[in-house]
Amino acid sequence: MAKTAQEKADLKAEKLYKKTHKRKYKLKPSDIVFNIINYLVFGIFTLTCIFPFYYLFINTISNNDMVLRGQINFIPRGLHIGNYMSLLSVGDLSSAFIVSVSRTILGTALMVAASALVGYLVTKQEMWGRKFWYRFMVVTMYFNAGIIPVFLNMQMLGLTNSFWVYIIPGIVAPYNIILVKTYIESIPAELEESACIDGATYMTVFRKIIWPLSKPILATIAIFGAVGHWNSFTDSLLYMQSAPELYTLQHRLYIYLNQASNLKALMQSGGSISDAALQSALSSKIIKYTISMVTVIPILLVYPFLQRYFEEGIMLGAVKG
Amino acid sequence: MEKNKSTQESISDKLYYVVRIAILVSVLFLFIPALNPTRISGLINKNISLFTAGTSYSTLVDNFGRAFKKEWVMESTMQLLYGSAIAIVLGIAANVANGCMSLGNIKFKKLGNLIGVIGCMIQLGGMFGVYSAYGKVALTSKPDRVEPMFPESFGLVTAIMVIVLICTIAQMLLLAKSKKEEKFEMETKFRLFLIFLPFIALVGVFSYLPLLGWRYAFFDYKAGDTLSMDKFVGFKWFLELVKNPATVRDIVNVLKNTLAMSGLGIATSWLPMAFAIFLCEMKNLKFRRFVQTFTTVPNFISWVLVYAIAFCIFSTDGFLSSLLVNLGIWTEGQNLLMNGDHMWVKMWAWGTWKGVGWSAIIYIAAISGIDQQLYEAATVDGAGRFQKMWNITVPCLIPTFFVLLLMSVANILSNGMDQYLVFKNATNTESIMVLDLYVYELGIGKGSIPLTTVVSMLKSVISVILLFSANGISKLIRGESIV
Repeated sequence: MAKTAQEKADLKAEKLYKKTHKRKYKLKPSDIVFNIINYLVFGIFTLTCIFPFYYLFINTISNNDMVLRGQINFIPRGLHIGNYMSLLSVGDLSSAFIVSVSRTILGTALMVAASALVGYLVTKQEMWGRKFWYRFMVVTMYFNAGIIPVFLNMQMLGLTNSFWVYIIPGIVAPYNIILVKTYIESIPAELEESACIDGATYMTVFRKIIWPLSKPILATIAIFGAVGHWNSFTDSLLYMQSAPELYTLQHRLYIYLNQASNLKALMQSGGSISDAALQSALSSKIIKYTISMVTVIPILLVYPFLQRYFEEGIMLGAVKG
Repeated sequence: MEKNKSTQESISDKLYYVVRIAILVSVLFLFIPALNPTRISGLINKNISLFTAGTSYSTLVDNFGRAFKKEWVMESTMQLLYGSAIAIVLGIAANVANGCMSLGNIKFKKLGNLIGVIGCMIQLGGMFGVYSAYGKVALTSKPDRVEPMFPESFGLVTAIMVIVLICTIAQMLLLAKSKKEEKFEMETKFRLFLIFLPFIALVGVFSYLPLLGWRYAFFDYKAGDTLSMDKFVGFKWFLELVKNPATVRDIVNVLKNTLAMSGLGIATSWLPMAFAIFLCEMKNLKFRRFVQTFTTVPNFISWVLVYAIAFCIFSTDGFLSSLLVNLGIWTEGQNLLMNGDHMWVKMWAWGTWKGVGWSAIIYIAAISGIDQQLYEAATVDGAGRFQKMWNITVPCLIPTFFVLLLMSVANILSNGMDQYLVFKNATNTESIMVLDLYVYELGIGKGSIPLTTVVSMLKSVISVILLFSANGISKLIRGESIV
């Protein structure tokens, strides 16, 4: 597997580090101060990036009473997984989960397939009007009709309150097409030519040569696409106004977070709330935490393993820029 | 073969242009609600296009519950209408197939013509069905409620169909006989184009078709209305932006917020660069890797989740409150999210928390590309750590920084709406309202479609101008374009 720029950089830095040590390079006091501050600042910032997730997590698995009394701050106590089990019984959540998962899988698969095919087609000089159609596609990255015209358009097409509004508009993703196209152009043309001489059709070349060879870039856009689908929230908010069964998980989470804060605002203003309602409002804190955790877990699980692809993605974008 | 075309062939070629354009127009008509030939009653929603009418029966008869119950309209009439709409849609689809096949050889063309003629027949049947459904609806006992109307576009759609039909039949007569052994063939350039066509259609439908919606900016339009020329108001809504004091106040406030928050972002756009430079100063690679991995995670969680995190840390019973209460510093928990002060800075801080680690990656990669000999030479010359940073690393990163800076200037009006939507509450509405959020609230919340469209339009135009100016500046200074 190819090394990322990062790994190369690491190697380089390591060599340099060894070199400097060979010279018995002595740290000056100012360097020590610098290092301490540097490590400290980065350490603290990294902590602010980790701690919230950790805090969320320990609060969902600790004893609920202690959580409600605010006693779980650093160390989990009274471990149990009852909160996660009880989420299963919340109907609208499991349906939201299914919607989110299916849109992520289907949407990403179609987007990747389309980007690969279109990216390949636009490298074909023979295609009728290639330049024009390529520009026709790419230019759409730079303008947007605006939220209302787009909404009315979806309505006109009968896509509002339909699952397909999550999938179809995202199939053609110009930016990803550019990335794939650039990548395919870097594949030696001889490979394709020799296949063509052997009588392979364009689709055979695409299936047998282009698709396997461009897997790295396809993996990268797939990951970005999947994260985008999983995180997307505004389309659910906009287009599912009368189809709550099609809300995405993010949208559900948003609703739960807001419900609770509304309850809290009510409590602060009047206080004429029954004990039962108060209790449920408080325990809704745990529900919120648990839903947040469920929503964030896929990202946290997937990220460390696929970080390489993520970083390659941003580098590819940079090359293009 | 190309050189000595017979007159018949050249006529046929020209005729095909007519056919293809006519088919394209009829496909466009499919999606334009104002040109829906099946709208035979006022009860049918004005925003239904022919395509919707032919795909969703429930949408078609959405408002007919009462009419069916009281038997003003027979349900069978509407079913007839639905069937006719399906027939018209299928007919047009067949014509599209014809149009595509017309790019092939004679054998393809022949087959295409056959399909086209059959399609036209089906469509004709559909039109007839619509006509007879109209006849039945017109006989309703409650004309004032059902509002039977002869669809204005009926004639137009029929005319186009007849043109296609005549041309196709003419083609059948004009085309030479294909040889028996001839196979279905098409030139490579068209074959590739036809594979590409569905994607072009998708782009057209989802990126270009919405531009039609810009016409709402010139009309007095409310959700559910039809557009008619008597509602044309010219530039009224544009003037509203500068004349109506309430709107002006809103817009000024919104622009202030938008520019302030984008401005804060731009003013601190060197932060990722600094992050990268100082990160690379750390010699402990394990720790570096660790920092880099975890500071990029927030970039991949949605704004809703960022809000969930803000909630678990800063709300009344969140981490900060319970910690401070337990320590006895606060007597009771406070919801810091309900505090509307310093919203700009807070939003900037959240944005930075989420994005800085990720944005730094590009600089880290750039740093690793810098020639190490430069540093060694500088060390020999006695340059200190900061001198090396400032005189070697920073100048090497400036080109990247410059491109990203230009891009963020071009995006100055688009801060996105997710972040501000999730963090918005009663106490901070005034200072959090950015352009994207304002447009959303105005359009979806208050249903003020024309004004929203005007704002989106202006925003889009300004953004494109900014982008091209940024591109121009980049070309001027670096000799490279950024878009």
